[in-house]
Amino acid sequence: MRWFRFAALLVIAAILQAEPVNVIAVINPDIKPDLLVILLVFFAVHSNPSEAIITSFTIGFAADIAVGPLMGPRIISFGLFGTALANLHRVIAIRKMPYQSLAIFIILILTTISANVLTFLRIQPSTPDIYVLFGTALYSALIGPFLFLPCAWWMRIKKHHFGR
Amino acid sequence: MCDLLRVTPGTIMARKRIRVSRRILFTWFMLTGFIFLFTPQNLTNKFQFAFVHIFRWPLSVGRNISLAAHTQQPRTDFVNRRQYNQLLNHLANLEEELRQKHQKLEKLSGLRNRFALEGAGFVIADVITATIDAQRCELIINRGKDDGLDKGQFVLADNSIIGTISDVDSRTAKVKLFTDPTSKIEIKIAELNIERIMQGNGNNSAKPKLIPTDKKVKIGDIVYARKKPGFLDVPRVIGRVAQCKEDDQSPFLWDITVRPVCDIDRLNDVAVVIMNPQKN
Repeated sequence: MRWFRFAALLVIAAILQAEPVNVIAVINPDIKPDLLVILLVFFAVHSNPSEAIITSFTIGFAADIAVGPLMGPRIISFGLFGTALANLHRVIAIRKMPYQSLAIFIILILTTISANVLTFLRIQPSTPDIYVLFGTALYSALIGPFLFLPCAWWMRIKKHHFGR
Repeated sequence: MCDLLRVTPGTIMARKRIRVSRRILFTWFMLTGFIFLFTPQNLTNKFQFAFVHIFRWPLSVGRNISLAAHTQQPRTDFVNRRQYNQLLNHLANLEEELRQKHQKLEKLSGLRNRFALEGAGFVIADVITATIDAQRCELIINRGKDDGLDKGQFVLADNSIIGTISDVDSRTAKVKLFTDPTSKIEIKIAELNIERIMQGNGNNSAKPKLIPTDKKVKIGDIVYARKKPGFLDVPRVIGRVAQCKEDDQSPFLWDITVRPVCDIDRLNDVAVVIMNPQKN
């Protein structure tokens, strides 16, 4: 793993997620791709299991800083589901684009719900917008696999290298 | 089973491996996450402030791009120059009328009074990032403690209250909008002589609580933030009633939705009200 390249990619994704990604919101201003979840899935399926744990928690930390109302919920939820996906990838290879899309869709829903549940432990609950959640998951799932290509190039990951 | 992590300190000549099992690695990170979660928010917020402070420039550029992209859409809610001048003149006449009345009252009562917000200071701040969704409605602005900002101060945009300062750093501050689900603000609805708490509802709306159906509330009524000595000396417009229907759970109460009177999504700058600024 090229950790410096990973850090640079993560900072860029966090900055883009904090504000500029609003430009490509569709239908509703809240329906926009979640670049950090896309990165989470990318590193979960392109790293070895130990690296996947580190990258998952680090991406969660960046997500809490860039978008979270408080620190902690995304560190835990990204770490948990990123690690689970990396372990699942050892059993079922997530190589094809449709599978990657499906992984992004499911992971985004799971991380969002679990981060909300954890957030509710600290601050008052709010009603999650199911329409926005599914819209964001679908949008991210559609563009995610295409973003894997520049990410793989930047990380110098060879094609069909899945770190197993 | 144990896939191992390699750490190689540069100072050690021999490549010494520090072996940490994945299970331990996962436990450490999980524990760190829970420590962050249960640490007081005013401490963990420093990470968010540091991020905004370090990457202020790209974030501002990103926000400008985002605003530019939205303003390219054709807008229909505008008035022509003539109407604008008419409204402006009307406002000036009203202000003068009010001033005259105030002077007369002062003469009759013999009491020296001053206009509300006369001695107040306004700190103009640029919006660095804005987050408005179902879970969170807040802004991060480029003014902080060094500029006299403090927790609880009211924030104005387009002459209306949009929220309060919820957290402050030396050079940045967090504005919790009144539409944030965790926000509670004292309000009164236009001509109704009742004061209630309004709670944020996310998605750019808020709901005043416990307003009985025997009170006459209609769509378009103006909602004012109540005065709060030391923070706001006079009620100020905060929003308008956008929806008013009977509460599904309590038929004797209204279910009212209030929306801001300004377009918070497109704000570039805001003004923080400092009621008694310290003179240097």
